[in-house]
Amino acid sequence: MIANLVVGGLAAGCLYAMVGIAIVIVLNITDIANFAQGEMAMLTTFFAYWLLDDLGLAWWQAVSIAAVFGLVQGIVVQQIVIRPLIGSPVLSAIIATLGLNVVLNSLAGLIWGHQTYTFPSPFTFLAPFQVAGVPVPVASVVNIAVSLAIIAGMTLFLRLTWTGLGMRAASQNQTVARLMGVSITKSSAIAWALGGLVGGIAGILVAPSVFLDTNLMAGLLIKAFAGGVLGGLNSLVGVFLGCLALGVSENLASAYLSPSFADAITFIVIIAVLIVRPEGIFGRVKVRKA
Amino acid sequence: MTGAADIAGLPAGLPKRPASRGLASPLLVGLGLALACAAPLGLNGYALYLLTLAGIFALVALGLNLLTGYAGQISLCHAAFFGVGAYATALLTTKAGLPYLVSLPLGALLTTAIGAAAAVPALRLKNLYLAIATLGFGVVLQKIIFEWRDLTGGGGGLALSAPTIAGYELGATGLYYLTLAFVILGLWGAWNVSRGRTGRALRIIKESEIAAASLGIHIARYKVTAFALSAFYAALAGGLFAYLVRYINPESFNVGLSIAFLSMVVIGGLGTIGGSIVGAAFYVIVPELLRGIKDAPGLVFGLLLVVVMVFMPQGLWGMARRLVWKR
Amino acid sequence: MTRLAIENVSVDFGGVHALKDVSFSFEAGSIVGLIGPNGAGKSTLLNCISGITRPTTGRVRLGETVLSTRNAADIAGQGIGRVFQHPELVLDLTARDNLLIACHRSLDYGLLSELLMLPGVWRREREAAQRVADVLRRLGIADSADTEVRSLPYGHRKLIDLGRALLMDIGFLLLDEPIAGLNDPEIAHLTALLLELRQEFGFGILVVEHNMPFVSRLCERLVVLDLGQLIADGLPAEVLSDARVISSYLGEAADA
Repeated sequence: MIANLVVGGLAAGCLYAMVGIAIVIVLNITDIANFAQGEMAMLTTFFAYWLLDDLGLAWWQAVSIAAVFGLVQGIVVQQIVIRPLIGSPVLSAIIATLGLNVVLNSLAGLIWGHQTYTFPSPFTFLAPFQVAGVPVPVASVVNIAVSLAIIAGMTLFLRLTWTGLGMRAASQNQTVARLMGVSITKSSAIAWALGGLVGGIAGILVAPSVFLDTNLMAGLLIKAFAGGVLGGLNSLVGVFLGCLALGVSENLASAYLSPSFADAITFIVIIAVLIVRPEGIFGRVKVRKA
Repeated sequence: MTGAADIAGLPAGLPKRPASRGLASPLLVGLGLALACAAPLGLNGYALYLLTLAGIFALVALGLNLLTGYAGQISLCHAAFFGVGAYATALLTTKAGLPYLVSLPLGALLTTAIGAAAAVPALRLKNLYLAIATLGFGVVLQKIIFEWRDLTGGGGGLALSAPTIAGYELGATGLYYLTLAFVILGLWGAWNVSRGRTGRALRIIKESEIAAASLGIHIARYKVTAFALSAFYAALAGGLFAYLVRYINPESFNVGLSIAFLSMVVIGGLGTIGGSIVGAAFYVIVPELLRGIKDAPGLVFGLLLVVVMVFMPQGLWGMARRLVWKR
Repeated sequence: MTRLAIENVSVDFGGVHALKDVSFSFEAGSIVGLIGPNGAGKSTLLNCISGITRPTTGRVRLGETVLSTRNAADIAGQGIGRVFQHPELVLDLTARDNLLIACHRSLDYGLLSELLMLPGVWRREREAAQRVADVLRRLGIADSADTEVRSLPYGHRKLIDLGRALLMDIGFLLLDEPIAGLNDPEIAHLTALLLELRQEFGFGILVVEHNMPFVSRLCERLVVLDLGQLIADGLPAEVLSDARVISSYLGEAADA
């Protein structure tokens, strides 16, 4: 029984983790918490749905095109909303992304209405893997694999490519990075593009389990932040592990205590972590030379 | 040389009032007050309901402005304070049998204690992390209301009958005037704080905590004060809200509402008192103008938030003020 | 005469020894300069005194009272005024309002009285406004009183910062690079002003600066830090000709 709960928790945690990874990529490079991340992902997912349903494309085709849509969406948001706000107080960017959240949600509602859609997935009807007697859905394995692949890919990109290095430099010290020839706006745009891409993939993988409607990502966003805080918002691995831990403890609490209180416990833990160790379990304190 | 200032007993060279280059001239304020008092005579029931709602939201915005606009502390849990105030007032009136005019301030005071607790994360956290912490705090409060079924009725909510004052039932007009009275009191209190040492202390805390400390200002004390005071305003408004809508349930006091409160303050003008009124009015009026198209109000409001942040961060009131003083 | 004493203060930031066993003291009424190359620990020392940083070992005493166990706001309340390298003023407020912030401690009315703007509050605000007007006149910036700080030049902002400290009824004033960014007339004005104020109010001044002529003209005594250690303490003429001091600023090449 516990094993089932743990597996289920890991599966849920993976979903949070993917949204969380998108947030962390943007947060670490541009210092902005994208409160609209979930809605951007939701929009990309609806776009994918349209490709699948209205245009009748195959799953892989739709996902690939939607991924590009997510990428472009990230760039557009960065250019229109974020770039003008470079240099403004942090509060402005937080409020702007909150506003964007509402805009995208309403936009999706206007275009697709508020009914629930079923989002297909090639993994739903495959037989689950058996791990030590516990059935593990193929979709969950795919989610974990994709998350790990994204983390690995991002880490390699940031460590081994010139662009990635430039982006890391820009996140540490903009002035010096500029002097070294790094384009801050280009780094910012790439970060947001990647965030949009990863978020979109997250939405597409999430949708089959929780059904597609405008509230697809709302709950996930908060959980992603919560898991990120737990593991450390400046570490990709930290977010991943934090979200997995969150998923598992939620599942266990929900089964042994009460579903509604499981949510509350999540937040109490988060607040406690924030007070005691704000950088999270795996995070590092970011020291910035003014 | 005897000048008017001397006759008034003020040392010459001092401003006649503490400097406030605001937009609210006595004429404007008087006009607004007169219109507000006369409103029930000309408006129908629904319009009066909207105006009362705007007043209630304005009360929340006034308090939130002190916290976020002056002290620079972001809060995503004010819907929870609003809700706790609503429930506290409702329960004190129905279950404890207290008169409405007593349970309103009493419920607000009880909520203030919770508001002070929300300040604890603020002592160590800023910006994003504070936003997340307050968001979590608000969700926890909401869940507590939901789970404490014996007291609050849980997800089923609470249905309330009309409030009474000294035996007389308070109808729509009565509730409107009560709200107006509280808004006026709230405005005056906020204005006084902005002119007094607390307002100034909050502002320097926002600018630089180190500078504030080196001037002898105890940062922790003032952050707690700001949270508590803004929670009081929100809770009082909640108590009025409960009896305006006559049915409350925990679902309405969610993060979305907290974001709405924040957007009222921001769109009106962060750090301005007039902005709180303008922002609240905007929030109530815009959806009305866009009734019919379901997601249009959200779209417009969200767009406004983004546009204001990018193009006029000083908000509508702040922009009007700047235009007037530019002459 | 009250004495401000730094006693065996060491500050260790997780491996970086910003200050190593620094000891010296000075009295109210005296003007001491704190000099040393960049990174010597001068600002850290000021931070220890004003309570922004807690010493890892050692303590700071004001007379008999130990300061280093208290928080910054309490220390300010004991009469330690601090002027920072870059004035941190509320840009939206006027010079007058920014100075009123410094009257905080003297305006000891409660929140409820403030909300109701009781007569007692109003009276105290007027008294504070009077003191602010006096300081503005004293600093020579009375004309800028009702201008938003955002529109004021750097020199004026530095004076307002100084004004804030003056309004706090201080026994000691800590100045962190007060003349950085000022032109010659402004420097002369500030030097004369500081000497006048010291004469009138009798507070002690500890000033961190790099400008040797300014420091020699203003200070009666110099304390030199290098790499966290105190390497010289005495009259300006002596200290500035001390070989160790010269080499710490210029490096080993001075040995030629």
